[in-house]
Amino acid sequence: MTTGMDRFAALLTGKRPDRVPIVCNLLDQGAKEMGVSLKEYYSRGDLVAEGQLRMREKYGYDTLLGMFYSALEAEALGCRNIIYADDGPPNIGHLVIGSTGDITKLRLPEDLDDNPRFREMTACIGHLKRESAGRWPVLGVVTASFSLPAMLMGIGPYIDLFLNGDTKLLDHLLTLCSQFCSRQIIALREAGADLIVYANPVASATFITTSKFRELALPWVIRDLEQPGPAGVIFFNGGGRINPILADLKRHTGLGAFYLNPFDDIAEARSTLGPNALIVGAINDIRLIDWSPLEIDREVERLMLTGKQAGGFIFGTLLMPFSIPEPNIRAMMSAAVSYGNYGSEDACANQN
Amino acid sequence: MTEALVQHTLGAYLKALFDTDKATALRIVQEALDNHMTPESVIFDVVVPGMEQMIGGMISDNQITLSQHFLASQIAEEVTDRLLPLFSSAPAIQGTVVIGTSFGDFHGLGKKIVTGCLRARMFQIIDLGINVAPERFIEAALETGAEVIGISSMMVHTATGDRGPKKVRQLLREQGLEQKIRLIVGGAPYRFHENLYREVGANAWADTAASAPAVVAALVKEVRQ
Repeated sequence: MTTGMDRFAALLTGKRPDRVPIVCNLLDQGAKEMGVSLKEYYSRGDLVAEGQLRMREKYGYDTLLGMFYSALEAEALGCRNIIYADDGPPNIGHLVIGSTGDITKLRLPEDLDDNPRFREMTACIGHLKRESAGRWPVLGVVTASFSLPAMLMGIGPYIDLFLNGDTKLLDHLLTLCSQFCSRQIIALREAGADLIVYANPVASATFITTSKFRELALPWVIRDLEQPGPAGVIFFNGGGRINPILADLKRHTGLGAFYLNPFDDIAEARSTLGPNALIVGAINDIRLIDWSPLEIDREVERLMLTGKQAGGFIFGTLLMPFSIPEPNIRAMMSAAVSYGNYGSEDACANQN
Repeated sequence: MTEALVQHTLGAYLKALFDTDKATALRIVQEALDNHMTPESVIFDVVVPGMEQMIGGMISDNQITLSQHFLASQIAEEVTDRLLPLFSSAPAIQGTVVIGTSFGDFHGLGKKIVTGCLRARMFQIIDLGINVAPERFIEAALETGAEVIGISSMMVHTATGDRGPKKVRQLLREQGLEQKIRLIVGGAPYRFHENLYREVGANAWADTAASAPAVVAALVKEVRQ
């Protein structure tokens, strides 16, 4: 049986797998799978791991997601109130940096494992790694230093700071966030993550211009990856368009995989990146809530045709909303397996 | 004051907005006042067109970014607040809008951008902040006589959940307020799904913050007819 790891390994060595690998980012849905509330689900790494394993088995995609929720990083840095919902990801209810004066008080934890939730998450990754037994790549997720402050102080005050605020304070804040990001990447790898999804929404072209990206964000991407190295790190759009910044990322960071936004053009990305980089093309998963199976089929077909033509292609989702009906997830998976098939004759042929 | 001065000021102001350079934008406003441009002209000939051209994406082939949206709206709001008391006569209020993020949603950026646009267009804004209970929207609209309730949501579950806009629509219906108060929504999920606003029970949504004043004005007109 060809596994997700085989498919990724083929792509990483410039070969063509049997079909396009599929990344399906189901997260909160695992609580439903396990029959528990989201709050209980995220209190235990073994529950999250079991939820992830069951969902992968149920739908047949190619990766295992070793993530809890984005706000966990704010928790590890001192956020005291996480708001749970019944039908969506936990939210930040307390800003660690209430005013710019708090920036100098921000401290990194001595040991990331001091935070019980972080400990549960790394335990979850370890559990997934063991159960996977080399068959399905385990994804760890970190927030880039340039985007992390949005969770610590709110996006409005953060935009104020990086556009027109005190540059020394900004540098101090981002230095700490970068150290935190690098340490997390290393910790997640040690826990068993095969690939690291590096989420940087505030650096995307949806948030800042390309000139601001070069001036303000790019140096921090380079710094985040300096110590852990860029191997196996996927630059994730986080909900913003990234095509306009791909050329700079390729030139300066050593990154080899890029997770596009549904509004990014796949062919344009390939043209910018050249033949070797891996591209993850994402479906607009908010539309999966109410698209008909036929509409889902057509959209997956469109993405797969473009992606296969581009080469080095992985099919993906963003973080799938809780309210997507199961039949629609199945319809997406069925279409992705069908249209992503390269045919046995071509399997493992050189593609670049 | 000449048309040339207005055009020169607007051009310089737009460039500062595009460069997200707040200090320069505020300096240009001050220079215009120093050159005897009236507060009314600064607002309606420079700040509002600047904000609308910026946010409407009319000054660049590239799409305008959220940080540019944010800054243009923030400066517009600050300058409007500062100059309104200096107007020769009180401006006509275009309508009253109660605004906030949906219950369970702690993301205030979109709301802040829209608020700046509406205030510069002389709407009275009652900002309820973030994580607002549906009952509170109704209560505030009744207290202030608002014609429009605006609800911003960043996440799918807060846009579509039972305590979000759907509940506000239900309360409007139950209390017989649907002809007196209109409901507008905005935020990321609506940009990924153009018909979502109907599904959550809103009368309208605005694609960009710059288009919000026109959409809200139309809703106010419906209510006042």
